[in-house]
Amino acid sequence: MKNIFLPLLLAILVLLVGCQTPSAPAIIPAAQMSITLTDDLGRIISLDQSARRIVSLSPPLTEILFALGASSQVVGRDTFSDYPQEVTSLPDVGGSFGKYSEETILSLQPDLILAGEINTPELVTSLENLGLTVYYLKNPINLEGMFFALQTVGVLSGKETAADQLVGSLQARAESLQSKLANISTRPTVFYELDASDPAKPYTPGKSTFYTSLIHLAGGENFGASLDADWAQISLEQLLMADPQFILLGDSVWGVTPQSVAERAGWQSLTAIREERVLPFDDNLLVRFGPRWLDGLEALARILHPEAFQ
Amino acid sequence: MKSLVRALLISLVLLVVSIGLSLAVGSVKIPLATTLQGLFNPGQTQVDPIVLSIVWDLRLPRTILLLLVGAALAGSGCAYQGLFRNPLADPYLIGAASGAGLGAVLAITVRWPASTLGYLTIPAAGFLGAILTVAAVFSIARVGKSSPITTLILAGVAVSSFATALTSLLLINASGELRRALVWLVGGSTMSGWQPVWGALPYILIGLGSLLTMGHALNVLQFGDDQARQLGLRVNIVRLWIIVAATLTTAAAVAFTGIIGFVGLIIPHVMRTLAGGDYRRLLPLSIMGGAIFLLLADILARTLLAPQELPVGILTALAGAPFFLFILRKSKQPFW
Amino acid sequence: MLSIQHLSIVFGSTRILQSITFQARPGKILGIIGPNGAGKTTLLRAISGLIPIDKGELSYANHSLLKMPAEARARLIASVPQATALPPAFSVRDVVMLGRTPYMNWMGQPSMRDNEIVNTAMRQTHTEKLADRRLDELSAGEQQRILLARALAQSTPVLLMDEPTSHLDLRYQIELLDLTRNLVQQEKKTALLVLHDLNLASRYADGILLLNMGKLAAFGLPQDVLRAEILSEVYQIPIQINHHHKKPHIFPK
Repeated sequence: MKNIFLPLLLAILVLLVGCQTPSAPAIIPAAQMSITLTDDLGRIISLDQSARRIVSLSPPLTEILFALGASSQVVGRDTFSDYPQEVTSLPDVGGSFGKYSEETILSLQPDLILAGEINTPELVTSLENLGLTVYYLKNPINLEGMFFALQTVGVLSGKETAADQLVGSLQARAESLQSKLANISTRPTVFYELDASDPAKPYTPGKSTFYTSLIHLAGGENFGASLDADWAQISLEQLLMADPQFILLGDSVWGVTPQSVAERAGWQSLTAIREERVLPFDDNLLVRFGPRWLDGLEALARILHPEAFQ
Repeated sequence: MKSLVRALLISLVLLVVSIGLSLAVGSVKIPLATTLQGLFNPGQTQVDPIVLSIVWDLRLPRTILLLLVGAALAGSGCAYQGLFRNPLADPYLIGAASGAGLGAVLAITVRWPASTLGYLTIPAAGFLGAILTVAAVFSIARVGKSSPITTLILAGVAVSSFATALTSLLLINASGELRRALVWLVGGSTMSGWQPVWGALPYILIGLGSLLTMGHALNVLQFGDDQARQLGLRVNIVRLWIIVAATLTTAAAVAFTGIIGFVGLIIPHVMRTLAGGDYRRLLPLSIMGGAIFLLLADILARTLLAPQELPVGILTALAGAPFFLFILRKSKQPFW
Repeated sequence: MLSIQHLSIVFGSTRILQSITFQARPGKILGIIGPNGAGKTTLLRAISGLIPIDKGELSYANHSLLKMPAEARARLIASVPQATALPPAFSVRDVVMLGRTPYMNWMGQPSMRDNEIVNTAMRQTHTEKLADRRLDELSAGEQQRILLARALAQSTPVLLMDEPTSHLDLRYQIELLDLTRNLVQQEKKTALLVLHDLNLASRYADGILLLNMGKLAAFGLPQDVLRAEILSEVYQIPIQINHHHKKPHIFPK
């Protein structure tokens, strides 16, 4: 009897997951205990059981593993993974200059390696050639994509329930936010500054980035939504012409302050500077996808529509 | 030639030591005895399969690849310096590096999203880029049946700048692939395992083998094209042969390990201070010296900040420059 | 015998040499003189195969030199260039051994015979004592003698020299030319020497070829060519000739 019960339970759980995420065609749940998924490089990955020894090569994936309560299943992480704090006590497998220590990875005997867009396909091939299993996830560019990533990691680590619960609570927060913003009358333009080492030619996120979708959800409009490149460089003139209502300094994590922006040559005529709507923004809430996107979203909304939070 | 045999024996010993170090050292500490067991007696059940995998799938192919690449860069650097009679000549002078970089970055940026099946695409594109660029430089510099040296160098510099500019343009527009392209450009083995070794080995062996037959011809060429012709050397054919062999060798090296500088420039110079200006000695000694140098540089790259790995190209530059200055000051005579 | 017939060389649209005809015999030095730009160097370069010719015939002992492959030609004709811009790091012996290139294999491994010939060449040019020295340690005169030794090691019937003395001081000029004359006579070589100094030409040449603006102005014995009226015309300056030991001495008036 025991032999039928567990697979049945799993099948039901998996079916439930399947029902809750209609926009998730790539998950092919199997009726047995094993897991078979197609990753974002189009490769079919099979695991006999959920992964017990995971090495994560991408900071947001490490974050997600910990958020799902799978921390005890993570045996190694790349050098850039630093959130939450406990992550830093895990073995470091490299990653600066794009080079990872495959020896260290091998010696950790992982049954699954999670790779993200920060990792090159060459690395994936190299690790596969060593007989290791690698699952590659592309960076999501909207909330639905992020939820899907959460659930994928959940399936791989055997934390589907935790993933579903987390997605549920995050969805609830998103919906609550939408209802608060239901009656806004305007959508202020936001210039999100990624880098302005050359103040005459700053960088801002383009139309196909998560910044665009999150700023939109927060009740604003990304200035860069008309730009094709993901990491788009514009000229100061374009910025002056557009005259955005808000300037958010994503590069404040690198030390850029509103005062330093006000001192830039030619920027003084911008409305946002005159009306003191140049604000630092913790880019860490956005730049790594994961549950913190909701924190970022809420922070954005509070800046853009403080009146909705009275 | 007795002194050459002795010098080669010494370099062989140094090479074996370097190979040994390269196999023994890495981010994971494996006792030397275990490594040796893993190498020579892999059938033993006592040896941990992880250790076997590290030694056979990672360290051994990497060691072989890097010694091949070091030999390739130094050997072709020596040949180029002799051919162009210019101490600044290196394998990249007539466009091999910038061409390889352009080819690789083109393959990277155009093929997104890349599938992992085409692992040879980028090295092949790099290889092709190197060959095509050198061919372009050669045809631009052609005057009648010959390609005068100054024209070759000028054409090389011009075409290299053009290729580099195009590469930068591609990089600027390649937000998603930027990291991947930069990782490739900064040098060092981008792929582990045996595939890069099989890919590079035939070209490097054939190229270096051909160059080794050109020692006497390079000596004759040191006196200028006119005197070389008057001594009976078919200068145009010899020049073509040397350029093709050296470029093939360089292209194969760059295709699999990115752009590693200094080896092709410094090692032949160092050999010159130690062994004089006879290319029949310089070529084999440079080849050995390049292999040893790059192996040692890679060992440092892997262990200085383990598990982080510094790009080998940065190390060769950092190590090479002061080393070269030291040699310069110690040698009492101008060695050119 | 070296025979040049109606040799013409064109460079672009400029005619450098026009229908030059002369012969040179073994055991004799043919001095080639003429003002700057007359085509002397071009003539020598054409004979040694460095530049293509437009019209005419070049032959040695009735074998045409025109389509001769480089190696065969190098066994027939050796050139002694000016000793300038030489690679510093070669040893003297290695340099002279390079003269055996047309006879050695691709490895440049000298045979016993090669070693013998190199030894002889160095002995003939009094350079044995310099054998292990580096090129850049030598004086200009010594370097020039080394290049002569290399040309001798090439074992060719024809020897070409282009202004071998122009950067040497008087003692080394005489030394080199004395040596050259002795060797030419001993080995019965056919020697063509481009000389700038008319008095040296007078002293050492057995025959004189006077070129002017690409054309042959005169060809014959020194006393017949080195005449005031011929030289004044060609060099565009009044010339006077004295005779010393039956050899003409040339001065501007």
